[in-house]
Amino acid sequence: MTKVEAIIQNSKLEPVKNALHEIGVEGMTVLEVRGHGRQKGHTEFYRGREYTVDLIPKIKLELVLADNLVEKVVQAITSAARTGKIGDGKIFLSRVDDAIRIRNDERGEGAL
Amino acid sequence: MISELRNAYAEQSARIRQAFEASGDGRAAVAQRTVLLEEIVRGLWRDNISQQLDGPANFALVALGGFGRGWLFPYSDIDLLFLHEDQATEEAFRDAIRRFSQELWDLRLKLSPATRTLAECDRFDANNLEFTVSLLDCRYLAGDAEVFARLHDKLIPRLIMRESQSLVQCLADLTRERHAKYGETVFHLEPNVKDAPGGLRDYNMACWLALISAMDKLGGWPDSKSLLPPSARRQLEPALDFLMSVRGFLHFRHGRDDNALTWADQDEAAARKIGVPETVTAAQWMKVYFGHARAIHRVSTQLLEEIPAAWSSLYRHFQHWRSRISNADFSVVDGLVFLQQPAAVHDPQVLLRMFDFMAHHGLKLSTTTEYRIEQVLPSLASTPPKGAELWQYLQVILLEPYAADALRAMQSLRLLTLLLPELKTIDSLVVRDFYHRYTVDEHSFRAIESLHQLKQSQSEWDHRYGEIFGELERPELLFLSLLLHDTGKGAAVDDHVRCSLEIASHCLDRLDLEPSDRETVLFLIENHLELSAVLRRDIFDAQTVSTFAEKMGTPERLKMLCLMTYADIKSVNPEALTPWKAENIWQVYITTANYLNRHADQRLHANTGNENMLRLQALAPGAGKKIRSFVEGLPARYLRACTSEEVLRHFAMAQRLDSDPVQLHLQRGRHWYELTVVTGDRHALFATMAGALAAWGMNIVKANAFSNQSGVVVDTFHFTDRFRTLELNLPEWERFQRSITSVLAGEADLERMLRERLRSEGSAAAKVRIQTRIEFDDRCSSHSTLLQVIAQDRPGLLHRISSRFAHHKCNIDIALIDTEGQMAIDVFYLTSNGAKLTADDQRKLRAALLQELNGD
Repeated sequence: MTKVEAIIQNSKLEPVKNALHEIGVEGMTVLEVRGHGRQKGHTEFYRGREYTVDLIPKIKLELVLADNLVEKVVQAITSAARTGKIGDGKIFLSRVDDAIRIRNDERGEGAL
Repeated sequence: MISELRNAYAEQSARIRQAFEASGDGRAAVAQRTVLLEEIVRGLWRDNISQQLDGPANFALVALGGFGRGWLFPYSDIDLLFLHEDQATEEAFRDAIRRFSQELWDLRLKLSPATRTLAECDRFDANNLEFTVSLLDCRYLAGDAEVFARLHDKLIPRLIMRESQSLVQCLADLTRERHAKYGETVFHLEPNVKDAPGGLRDYNMACWLALISAMDKLGGWPDSKSLLPPSARRQLEPALDFLMSVRGFLHFRHGRDDNALTWADQDEAAARKIGVPETVTAAQWMKVYFGHARAIHRVSTQLLEEIPAAWSSLYRHFQHWRSRISNADFSVVDGLVFLQQPAAVHDPQVLLRMFDFMAHHGLKLSTTTEYRIEQVLPSLASTPPKGAELWQYLQVILLEPYAADALRAMQSLRLLTLLLPELKTIDSLVVRDFYHRYTVDEHSFRAIESLHQLKQSQSEWDHRYGEIFGELERPELLFLSLLLHDTGKGAAVDDHVRCSLEIASHCLDRLDLEPSDRETVLFLIENHLELSAVLRRDIFDAQTVSTFAEKMGTPERLKMLCLMTYADIKSVNPEALTPWKAENIWQVYITTANYLNRHADQRLHANTGNENMLRLQALAPGAGKKIRSFVEGLPARYLRACTSEEVLRHFAMAQRLDSDPVQLHLQRGRHWYELTVVTGDRHALFATMAGALAAWGMNIVKANAFSNQSGVVVDTFHFTDRFRTLELNLPEWERFQRSITSVLAGEADLERMLRERLRSEGSAAAKVRIQTRIEFDDRCSSHSTLLQVIAQDRPGLLHRISSRFAHHKCNIDIALIDTEGQMAIDVFYLTSNGAKLTADDQRKLRAALLQELNGD
């Protein structure tokens, strides 16, 4: 099993969710996050005060998948979230040892 | 033996369930289960403790809590007290009690046993309030009746009399804690019928408070039937029947002591006619639930308010202090409002003033007052107050700090829907939405409440939004929009915004709102999801911001919509407004506000079919070409900032310029005075106007300056009258306007007037030091240079800044003047010889301004 963590632009949440639903992925965790990579924040002045946004608001998606789905999911996320500009985000993949469904103790891919 | 008992218990329980499923009668079901459990425990008593039910001596079995009350729901705990005269029997029967308890557990009953001596029962432990409270429902089951009688007849009354203050205080604290856990409201989409406000626990609490109060007075047990006043009983009994049926239904359905009324439970309860005579929809069934829960909540909170006053001197002192706010119409006793003249309840104006009084002071209505209001509702329904008069009262209520509580009280009495029938469809309405926690009406009240609470909040975000809220010119329009924004949810349509708009439109017609106010309210309702939609786009993209800014049109509307969004999200559920969202809304707000200031000089062309232009022509069909010529070349912002009525007034003033070259219009608003001057453009006009106002001691808080293609200037100054010159002397209005006219005509010596004013005032030290900031921007306009000046606000500041412009031959195309506390934030669009300022012009002007502003 693989854990997919995707940091995307806020505006791309709906397109990415739709793209994942289209390939049959329903379950995901969505987090509101802040951060930056190479895309640094910016400063806005309002009424003489300086408001610096150095950590940019982003959306983080987390999914744990059977390995055979991973490439399809990565493909779906990248094509839905890409604008070609700095700030489109990143996808991280990592191995997952096991999964347990709390309701009935089911384990492994069956619990996903 | 145990298997026989288990079978018998299962058989009897199944019989009770069958009877409940046939009748839906919760009260009967809990009574039958109580009897069943009594038989079981008495049987076990005979088997394990004593062959004789009334033996042994000095040891008794007592039912407590729900079992004691005779309210055993299908999966409720069974509270039992093993009561001993002293420790001798406790030691002697220890093993027998263990066997007794074990057999009950083997039946899979949830036994909560307590073993106490009489002396132990006499101790009040604030950390184990539940035990003392459970004694209030104690009932003899078996054993030595004498021991029970000593507990019941002597010990408990003595304990209650001794500890009544602490007991009531602890009960009140626990109740408030429990209510806070459920957001202080009855109106949850999936309520807990036991613990949420308006649930069975509130009913119990009302009875306990009444019982403690009565025992404290009588020194013994009162007649349980006269515990609650008849008016309260009338409301509570049907509510209790309903809730008992619902809780019984939930226990049977869930197979455990789970009292959460989920959406699936609501569907099933409605289909099975639980507590109602005929089949209804789940939404209608929930309205019945909320009606009953509301009655219980109302009575229990009134008792909470009333009873502590009898004991706590601090509380009495506070209530006595509150009673000083009584006036000729209303008296305040123990935080509850009474009518001084009961007959006055027939007067709708007094009624509305009473809710304003509540909203102002944060008070509740007394039961008597509520009863009186309920009595007059039918006659009020035939001639309800309406039109501008109703709006006048309603807006005053909406602006008060406890407006939401007053609205809830009006809603609870059905007065709000009588005055605003448009709210009927959302009264106690459950709309199933994963994020929403409250009914639609409660959500709207919470949104209003959350704006009022911004001022007191310690949260950083509330503080920031609170500052914008403090700047609103017409907050009542925002409150009205929030009250009506979700009315469309009562209709079974996909687009609730469109439907809310239609409903609100009827409501605004009846309230007879001014056309411009009506436009604002409808704008806010129509766009109340717009900012949330922007949050789903790239908020750092210039195109997103410009599109949104164009839609908002004016900074005032932007502020209102931003606050509306903030309050709307915050009222969805306590976790909905994350700091992440608050920050994003703020980001959109400041970038859009900046955009509106920096794109203010796009010129109007009267023939381009601008929507506002078409409306103006429709309003003044005879004006034809003349009005087009007046509007031609004015900045687009002018039409956004001014209502149609104001534009037509300016146009009429411009038409009179031939006979009188300086046209003035002075009016008083809620926060400040507004002076509009329409005249031909001339050198240093803005500086002269600003100087004339400063010379009169007026503090300019906002100003707009616009000019059209033919050189007609429309300058509007909003100012506060620091010395109340105009407020206290009506004849001064005339003299003030004459003085302004003569200054503009060059007949009066402005510099001398200013010198005299400054000399008489002296100089006061500033409370907050604001550093002067001067910023030029050449990019945001095609033909002028934007200058933003941030400086310490002080008398005559605008005159000094704009005089520098005149001195450097800079022409003001647009001026947008604002003040925040002691900080002046002034934006000017300047040209020099009809073009943008050169780098050299900017350098010289910056130096001159810094010298002028920092030279004090």
